[in-house]
Amino acid sequence: MSYQRAFSLQGVTKEFPGVRALDKASLDVEVGEVHGLVGENGAGKSTVVKVLAGVYQPDAGLVTIGGETLSPITPDTVHAAGVRFVHQELHLVPHFTVAESVFLGQERSGRLGLNTKAMREETEAFLHDMLGVDMPSSRLIRDLTTAERKLVQIARALIDEAAKVVVFDEPTAPLASDEIETVMSAIRRLTEQDIAILYVSHYLSEITDICDRVTVFRQGKTVGVFDTITDQSGRDLVYAMVGRDIADMFPVKGDRVAGPGLEVVGLSDGRAFANISLHVEKGEILGIAGLIGSGREELIDTIYGLRKAQTGTFQLEGEPLAIKSAAQAVDAGIVLVPRDRRHDGLVLPMTMAENVTLATLDQNTSLGLENRRVARERTEAQITALDIRPPDPDVVTRLLSGGNQQKVVLARWMVTSARVFIFDDPTVGVDVGAKSEIYQLIDDLSAGGACVIVSSSDPVELQGICDRIVIMMRGDIIGELQTEDLSVDELVSAITGARDIKNLTDAD
Amino acid sequence: MPINPVRHRRISEIIGYLPLIIFAGVLLYIGLSAPNFLTFRNLELIVMQSLPVVLVCAGLGVVVMAGGDDVVSGGIDLSIPATAVLSAGIIAVMLTQGWPLIVCGIVAFFACIIVGLLNAALVTRIGMTPLLTTLAMFVAVVGVNNVITSSRRINVDHPLIVALRAQDVLGIPLGIVVVVVVLAVIYFVTHQTRWGLHLQAAGGSRDAAEISGLPVRRLFGQSFVLAAFTGFICGFFVLARGSGSSPGVQDNLMLEMVLATFLGAAFSARRVVTMWGAVLGAVLVAAISIGFKSMGVNVFWTGLIKGSLIVVVVAFAALARRGR
Amino acid sequence: METSTSTNMIWVLLQRFGFLLVFAAFFGLFAVWNPVFLQGGNLLNVIEGSAVLMIIALGMTLIVATGGIDLSVGIALDFGAAFAVVALKSYGMDWFGAACAGLIGGSIVGLFNAILVIGLRVSPFLATLSTFFIGSSVQRIFTNGGGPISHRRMPEEFRNLALGDIYGVPTEAVIATVLVVLYFLVLERSIWGRRIHAMGMQRSAAIVAGIRVNRILILCFIVASMTCAAGGLIAAANIRMFTPLSGFSYLLDAIAAVFVGAALHPRGRPNVLGTVAGVLFLGMVANGLNLMGLNFNTKDALQGIILVSALALAVAQQRARNPLVS
Repeated sequence: MSYQRAFSLQGVTKEFPGVRALDKASLDVEVGEVHGLVGENGAGKSTVVKVLAGVYQPDAGLVTIGGETLSPITPDTVHAAGVRFVHQELHLVPHFTVAESVFLGQERSGRLGLNTKAMREETEAFLHDMLGVDMPSSRLIRDLTTAERKLVQIARALIDEAAKVVVFDEPTAPLASDEIETVMSAIRRLTEQDIAILYVSHYLSEITDICDRVTVFRQGKTVGVFDTITDQSGRDLVYAMVGRDIADMFPVKGDRVAGPGLEVVGLSDGRAFANISLHVEKGEILGIAGLIGSGREELIDTIYGLRKAQTGTFQLEGEPLAIKSAAQAVDAGIVLVPRDRRHDGLVLPMTMAENVTLATLDQNTSLGLENRRVARERTEAQITALDIRPPDPDVVTRLLSGGNQQKVVLARWMVTSARVFIFDDPTVGVDVGAKSEIYQLIDDLSAGGACVIVSSSDPVELQGICDRIVIMMRGDIIGELQTEDLSVDELVSAITGARDIKNLTDAD
Repeated sequence: MPINPVRHRRISEIIGYLPLIIFAGVLLYIGLSAPNFLTFRNLELIVMQSLPVVLVCAGLGVVVMAGGDDVVSGGIDLSIPATAVLSAGIIAVMLTQGWPLIVCGIVAFFACIIVGLLNAALVTRIGMTPLLTTLAMFVAVVGVNNVITSSRRINVDHPLIVALRAQDVLGIPLGIVVVVVVLAVIYFVTHQTRWGLHLQAAGGSRDAAEISGLPVRRLFGQSFVLAAFTGFICGFFVLARGSGSSPGVQDNLMLEMVLATFLGAAFSARRVVTMWGAVLGAVLVAAISIGFKSMGVNVFWTGLIKGSLIVVVVAFAALARRGR
Repeated sequence: METSTSTNMIWVLLQRFGFLLVFAAFFGLFAVWNPVFLQGGNLLNVIEGSAVLMIIALGMTLIVATGGIDLSVGIALDFGAAFAVVALKSYGMDWFGAACAGLIGGSIVGLFNAILVIGLRVSPFLATLSTFFIGSSVQRIFTNGGGPISHRRMPEEFRNLALGDIYGVPTEAVIATVLVVLYFLVLERSIWGRRIHAMGMQRSAAIVAGIRVNRILILCFIVASMTCAAGGLIAAANIRMFTPLSGFSYLLDAIAAVFVGAALHPRGRPNVLGTVAGVLFLGMVANGLNLMGLNFNTKDALQGIILVSALALAVAQQRARNPLVS
């Protein structure tokens, strides 16, 4: 089959205040291929997807679909041109049936109201013929597994049979590892239909598995197009994604104080994970790796007292410790920089000063009344120390960029005398510059004698900053790796279970 | 540690129906203690008694469907009972002035729809929270109705209104037939039409609806208008039940509506507000009220019983959710 | 373009100062309609007449600031009045003992709410609604159907809670003012207030920040209901009796005052000064409409319509000023 151009982006530039998200980026996808798009967080992948969706207007450049240049680029013209999206989030109505969800917004009408029979039959036929699954169309979304919901989402995008280009945005992100194959085989079947597929993902193992060609983005630029992909391409892709300056992103480790730190023994929550034991020394940075569903997030929440533990004990610097609530954890000097900072990290409608001093109100008080001058001075000191922008203690935190919001959360804990810092996906949604600053801050904390735990979904980050990484899978710690001499690829294959950790350590 | 998900689900499903089981237990207890309670005649009386609440509950069910079931920020319309009383007041006053029923009905209809449109505008255009908007609207509409009726009781003996209470169709009271038809229409509109599905999607997952390009805010606004329409219909039943319009009906109607709707949510294993749940809730609340009365329990206790019911049922619902 | 900029100006002005303008417009209207409105005695009437509502609205402000709502404020008021009157009448306590009994009676309501909300995880709306049902029923049972308990020979000191004066200022106005100042200091200036606001705005973030939200919530429910009970003491002293279920009439006005006040705040927070403005606005409208000599029903209806409009205006004004907030 001769390839023909399904769509292309040429020299697309998109600027946001302070950031050039796309810098003359280009991308060509041909009919009948699965084209991978990879890059680090902040490389411009999601911006490209939004430009293609008509959500963002590019400042410069051309978008061509099926040989025709699209102008204007709006959600409607994009849809009319046959571009469909399968979004990362599973936005489906829980109490709708499969058929209702597939046809939402594009219902078939009959003479009397809706033609539910036709919709049901079409849905089942589509799922069977195109995606290769049999699913009763009357089942409710909330009773489906995550993978089945993903398939419903795919059917939703394709049911009108007008799709020429389908964009999959992190399609496997919410899936457990054994569910991934279901979705992958469905995607493979689609390529037989003369549809071009753009596959955006973090997971290099999937990219090398399913993609025919791959485009790599770095800092808003197209830095490489790989025309042949084999199982061995992973290393080259990482190199292209991260560039030469990978080492520069991460701080150089200096001398450390040592001593016993936090020790967790036999922790279970009765659901997501069981019998977890781990320890962090003073001055050490421990990484926790694991896919979604591995119990990693639940473990962090439980250590911090946000979830109830069924069994398990804690020791801090040799002293036994009870953690039943976040307040107890904070009192003991254990603090959390949560993954969802907009929801759990900051009180968004409050100002920077109010957020920074929220955990240390007791220290800025006379007779119970708040001493606003002291609070302000402390905030200003943190603004200087962490280089928070804008340097205005009275700015409402909702208006700050992701990186600066993260620094405000960090600033709040810096003013306490915390001994254990837990970071949960600390750089999600943070641009590259601020990322490296945050890594430096984390390293400074550890150099100052704090125990640091970094739980992350980003293998590059874990490899770059941690001294030691424990890997979780299905609620269990399946192994532990020293980061010295560990490559990102080895780490990824250990996290995804592609390689046994024993072999990995033996090989070293 | 092995966790058996199947067994776990089965237990939580049983816990899920616990509120309904408790309720059935209470009714059975009443039935055993008051022998007349479980007669057909009495059950018919219970259903007749609950008709106005059933109608406003259906309206509230639609608003919750479109706005989500968060009480404060999601969909709620506390003004429906006031709309119902306004409808009743207008019809009663105009009938005494000698207008034909159809004209009274048309005027009441437009008055009610205006209330619905105002709610919709305040919520979707100005951005007030539904709880606050409709609570304030409740006060305003009741005030207006008191001006219209001069806060007097007005007897209505129009044959059609009386028929709603006293007439039978094939052995079934006309009132029940009419309400069943209205509910069937609302059900058809909200479940079998494109508009209805969009409405449900808007409340079920705002993100999903927006991604599918649905006009979420407009749908939410429209639900208030439909709710006001149920208030309009309810006006006739308020007149029929009380043989006319009397001041103060709205307070009790509002409390019963909220009680029944959220009890209805607790009855469903999934804890979602549905129209049928609300209707079931309304009938069961009437059953409990009449039941305790026929057991000879002093009416002073009804509030205590209803309040405790909310607590028990909702708390069990919360416990079941935690157990899942 | 000339005209559009000038209408823009008017629009901007309305958005900025809309509520203030409406306040002033009503003030002017009432003053022109009936000059009595402006007399010092009458303005004092407005304040005195708003004292109980002010106290209830303060309690409501506290609960709304925690992110909830309290439909049982009226019950707390009734309980305060009932406990105090019974303490005076049946147990022969002195005024101070009776006042304490009233406050304790009110705090039972708050404790009950706290148990439902925190212990049983019922949402504040439904929890306080049940408290309302149960509390009303308890009053009916206790008074055998809702008849008032009157106490003609009420001690002078207790009566003075409502009818006395301190240096010429009516006691109830003094009590309300003291409570306003205390609430302002606690809610807007103290570290507890900061914690309360934080948990009200974003509970999960407050928990992660190590704030003991449950403990704060229990205290808030109890303090709010004791505050309402204080309102009940004044109400009972005023008419020398306990009238069951009389607290309900304050509920909607209290909610309205709090939300008007929140909408007046630059960032939409429920706040004490805003609540004071809301209460005074409602008090002024009620007093002004009275002086217009309207019949009771018309006055009621107008008050309702003004309430809806005021809320709409206040919310619209807040949106216009700060489109990014919520």
